[in-house]
Amino acid sequence: MYVTVKVDKDKCTGCKLCILTCPEANVITLNEDKKVCINSNRCKGCFLCVSVCPKKALKEGSV
Amino acid sequence: MSVRNITPVKEFEDILPKEYKDLVNKGPFNNKKSVDDLGTFKEIIEEHPHCAGCGVSLGIRLALASLPSPEDSLVVGTPGCSFFALSQSAVNYSNTAFGNQNAVATGLKRMLQIRYPDKHKDVIVMVGDGGIADIGLDLTLHSWFRKEKITTIMLDNEVYGNTGGQESGMSMKGRVLNMAPTGKKFDKIPVFDMAEVSGCVYGARVTVANPKKVGQVVRNAILIAREIGPTYVQIFTPCPTNMKFPPDQTIKIAKEAQKDQYSYKEFMTDEVAEYLKNI
Repeated sequence: MYVTVKVDKDKCTGCKLCILTCPEANVITLNEDKKVCINSNRCKGCFLCVSVCPKKALKEGSV
Repeated sequence: MSVRNITPVKEFEDILPKEYKDLVNKGPFNNKKSVDDLGTFKEIIEEHPHCAGCGVSLGIRLALASLPSPEDSLVVGTPGCSFFALSQSAVNYSNTAFGNQNAVATGLKRMLQIRYPDKHKDVIVMVGDGGIADIGLDLTLHSWFRKEKITTIMLDNEVYGNTGGQESGMSMKGRVLNMAPTGKKFDKIPVFDMAEVSGCVYGARVTVANPKKVGQVVRNAILIAREIGPTYVQIFTPCPTNMKFPPDQTIKIAKEAQKDQYSYKEFMTDEVAEYLKNI
């Protein structure tokens, strides 16, 4: 899609709230270092994860 | 569907897509996964054509992630929005005529009990509000009266989203929709209360704003339906396209509903309470 979400690795704490609220399966996953990583090819750009992130680690962006 | 069924032969391994290989190697089959593990394993649901920010697809994703044994589960659906994501999943899925879902599930459950007498085969009905509250209400209620051991999950988006926004029996009173311009004239159908008086042994009412609770009640409902009787779970899944709110507000709308018409509610019989203590 044309829009996606960018992750600020310094702010992410790995609380997984974004993973639990994403309507798409297998788009947001957890890395080995306990930070989230976004599959930007499959993101539909609803920004539900941005609205729930407590540390403001996710930002709207373009591909 | 077990790992043995989906494992490819050696000759075809290199030409299969990456998603398929992930499902075999990192999927939830044969090792216990729950909603808490989401993000660390390959989910059984694949790319689906739901709108951005859709609550229904989130509800389906959470419910499928919390199946106690996905390899021994059979999901029965009906036309509507819920059909899009369920047909993209790697569980045994059967689509029925509109409203027939609980009658078909009854037949499947009885057949599976005869075919596999020593195994638990979970039959789960996962449909929208139109399938249960409007068109299939009679067949749903009758399956509860007969105490069939199936789990019924309603994904309540309070609208017929797939066909352009007609009012459903579960819409709020006064809700203005695309094809209901003067607002709905009567109250929400109390299906949750009807489940309690019709013979369901366990029922819960949750929203997608509380994902871990959704996982917990779906799991409990399926485990209880194995042993005791019919169970019912009602999940509130707001629809941004037809309720006309931005797609990033789905969780906020669900949280507001939690304070109003969708407060957490649970009922169970004494037998179920005893059973839940032991699992």
